[in-house]
Parts: sequence; C-alpha cells; structure tokens
Amino acid sequence: MSNDVLVIGGGIAGIQAALDLAEMGIQVHMVERLPSIGGKMAQLDKTFPTNDCAI
Amino acid sequence: MSGEVGAFKVKVLKKARYVNQDLCTGCGSCAEKCPSVVVDAYNEGLGQRKAIYKYFPQGIPSVFTIDAPNCRQLGQGKKCGVCAKVCQAKAIDYEQKDQEVELEAGAIVLATGYEVFDPSVIPEYGYDRIANVVTAMEFERLLSASGPTTGHLDRPSDIAMERELEELEKEHKKVNRQVKQFEEKCGKTSQEASDMLKACAVLEGIDLQAWVDTAAKAEELEKRMADLKQKVASFKTAKKIAFIQCVGSRDFRFNRFCSSYCCMHSVKEAMIANEHDSEVRSSIFCMDLRAVGRNFEEYKVRGGKQSNIEYIRGRVAEITEDDAHNPVVWYESTTTRQVVHDVFDMVVLATACIPSEGAPRLAQLTGAELDQNGFFKTHPFSPLNTTRPGIFVCGCAQGPMDIPESVAQASSAAARAAETVSVRKAAG
Repeated sequence: MSNDVLVIGGGIAGIQAALDLAEMGIQVHMVERLPSIGGKMAQLDKTFPTNDCAI
Repeated sequence: MSGEVGAFKVKVLKKARYVNQDLCTGCGSCAEKCPSVVVDAYNEGLGQRKAIYKYFPQGIPSVFTIDAPNCRQLGQGKKCGVCAKVCQAKAIDYEQKDQEVELEAGAIVLATGYEVFDPSVIPEYGYDRIANVVTAMEFERLLSASGPTTGHLDRPSDIAMERELEELEKEHKKVNRQVKQFEEKCGKTSQEASDMLKACAVLEGIDLQAWVDTAAKAEELEKRMADLKQKVASFKTAKKIAFIQCVGSRDFRFNRFCSSYCCMHSVKEAMIANEHDSEVRSSIFCMDLRAVGRNFEEYKVRGGKQSNIEYIRGRVAEITEDDAHNPVVWYESTTTRQVVHDVFDMVVLATACIPSEGAPRLAQLTGAELDQNGFFKTHPFSPLNTTRPGIFVCGCAQGPMDIPESVAQASSAAARAAETVSVRKAAG
C-alpha cells in the first residue's frame, strides 16, 4: 500500500498535476526524460490568447 | 511496473547527469570553457550549445548536465577534464552511473505530452529542401528574445550564409598566416616567389610551389569573402510571412484528427512577429480557422485588424523557391477560383501534434490502452481515466489540446489521483 502518486512527464500538465497533489499534502514522484522540466511550453515565447510570456 | 491501484511498484532508470546535483550552483563556467559544441535541440537545431549544458537558461533543476555521447572525455575517449578543472563547487563527477530506482505509488498520472509532426515527409512543402520553410516551433525560437537570433526574424538561409562567411574568415586567417610565414622566412613577397617559380629559379630550403599555391588560395578566399560580405550586408529581416495550417493533421495521408491548437498558435505567432516589427505582414492559409476557446474569436479578429494578418481560405498545393531563397506559395483561391502564387520571405508550417514516440512502450508497460490515433484511450464521460484503474491521463498524452485545457485536465487528474490514494488511506 502506498499513498504516494507517480507523475510521468514534467511538462505543463505534469507540473500542474504535481503541484496540485503536493498542495493536498500528497507525496509526489515526478519522472522526466530531459534534464529540465518545462516540456514543450518552455520552448514557447508567448502564449495565446493573452500574449503572456510562456516561462 | 507491477502491482495494482493502491500499490503500484515502478522501476525508474535515473540517468546520470555526471554532475553532483547537490553541489552544482549553476554558475555556468563549465559550459563557457567546454570545447565541444553541439547543435541545440531546445532551439530546434537553430542554435548551438556545449556538451555540458542546461537544457534552457531558466531550466529547473538549475544544475548542469553532461551530454555523454558528445563529451570528449565520456563519449569520445579523449583526455579533456576542462569542466572539472574550472568547476569551483567540485560538482563534476565523471564516475556517476545510471541508477535504477524503485518507487511505490497508489496512483499514477500520465502526462507524457506529444511530439511535433515531421513535415519532411510531405514533399510538396519542401521543408527539407527550402531553407526558409520552417516549422511553427522553429519560428517560435526565432521570435524568442532568448532564442538564437535574440528575437530578430533573420531568415535561416541568411543565417547559414553568415555562418559560411565566418568559416571562410577563419580559414582565410589560417592560410594568410602560412603565407606570412613564407614571406618572413625569405624576406620576399609572394609576387616575387611567383615570378621566381615562373623563371624556374630555386630557393634553398623552400617549397616555392607550395608557397605560390597557398598565396593563390588566400586570394581566392578573399574574393569569395568579398562576394559573401556584399550579400550579407543586403540582408533584411523577414517582412512577409505565410502560415500554412493543417500540416500533417486533417490529412488522410497522415493523421485524420484535428490538431486543435495550431490555428490559434499561428495567429499568435503572426501577432508577435508584427509586434516585433510593425512592417511584418502575414497570410494564414487555412481550410477554416478554428478559434473555439474562451476569448479566442476576439483574439483572431484583433489579429486581423491590428496585426496585418490576412486569413486566406485554401489548401496550399505546393511551395517552390526562387533565386533569392524566397519561398513561393502556390494555391487555389476559393474566392476567385484561380490557381495563384505569391512570393514570401518565409513560410511557417503549422505542424500537427502527434502521439509521443514512447507512448506505445508506456502503454505496454502500464497496461493503459491507446486509441486509434495513438493517444491514451479514455471514455468521453470520464476523460481522465485510462483503461487501467488507478492510472489517469492529462494533457496532450490524451489528445491534442492547448495550454488552458491541459492545465484544467491536469488539476482534474490530480484530484482523481488524490481521491484514489486518500479513499484507500481512510479504508485501510
């Protein structure tokens, strides 16, 4: 039995899920293939529909 | 992976960074001195990085990693050790090994994302032939102030020519040094050497033929450099840009599904390009422009009114290239029923969102099935549940979607996972 959650992928979806779980007091393990988290969104300059910076 | 909901057991391969994560301060002096230059995947191959690198400057964790296959010491068996020498924190560890870590979890969230469609399989768009035809992600990096062109819309063909000039200058410097050596050694000019060679005279200890050849090579390089310099001086940033929608999606040859975010992505890129330079005009070629999210329609209209964007209904048939490396777009105008063509400075392909390469393997490992398109299968009324209890999916691993939708799904998946582990905790 374990009360931890495993999140596979550290892009925007994985990060959001992991943060939500952590805020609920749940221990999260995140696995990411690349040296940094951020995923495709980190490659974007701005995002629609507000033209806010992606990072 | 083994076990079931409430008690999954997972083995994870933790890859070696060859840098001690607890010691590295992220100062970057290692990357400054590293002698191996590598093409940068983060910048879609448009920039360069070193073999010891941070994936991107703001990357988290803020520590460096050695890309072992490209490292002289680790991958190529040469003696180097420069990064270890310059690292003040003593964080470099060439002996670090990949580790197998065993984790236990009550629930799993799959957020493995997507891959971008490779447009080089569409011959008529000429992505691999025409330098100034780029993907939307490449264009994104060109637009970025932290990207390889610091946000200037330099065309890839121009960037390549500037690099060629740099290489020529380097070579010229080398050849010129050799010529100078000859001249200094003998106290004669290269012209005199050439005359002597013609007169069949001999200069002791000197290979006159080699001297004359080297001098000729230097001269030829100078000519080529002058030519290129003139061209480089006339370069302008891209002003007229075409965006082509549905590249690899809604296309029966490749993927039938709609890639969902690309319409808005192209509108955004065209708006930002115009924001950088108000002379930029964009044409977006689309079958229909799908602006279905909250405030998206207003955004699209604003782009057309304020950012010089023209929306053209039509499917582009072919892209060719003229002598000045300008892409020429051929299409049928559905309003005039004529086949027309237009010359652009640059073409951006709105490439589709496709299932990530590792999805089939992950499906096999976890027992969560894939749908007919290769994304993780879910039921319309429970869009976060995979076919395996205790395993949830969110974001583009489930299908193409934009950032707001990914974030909403992620929060929902987190709630479902939390529910799973806390219900079991209360019961257990």
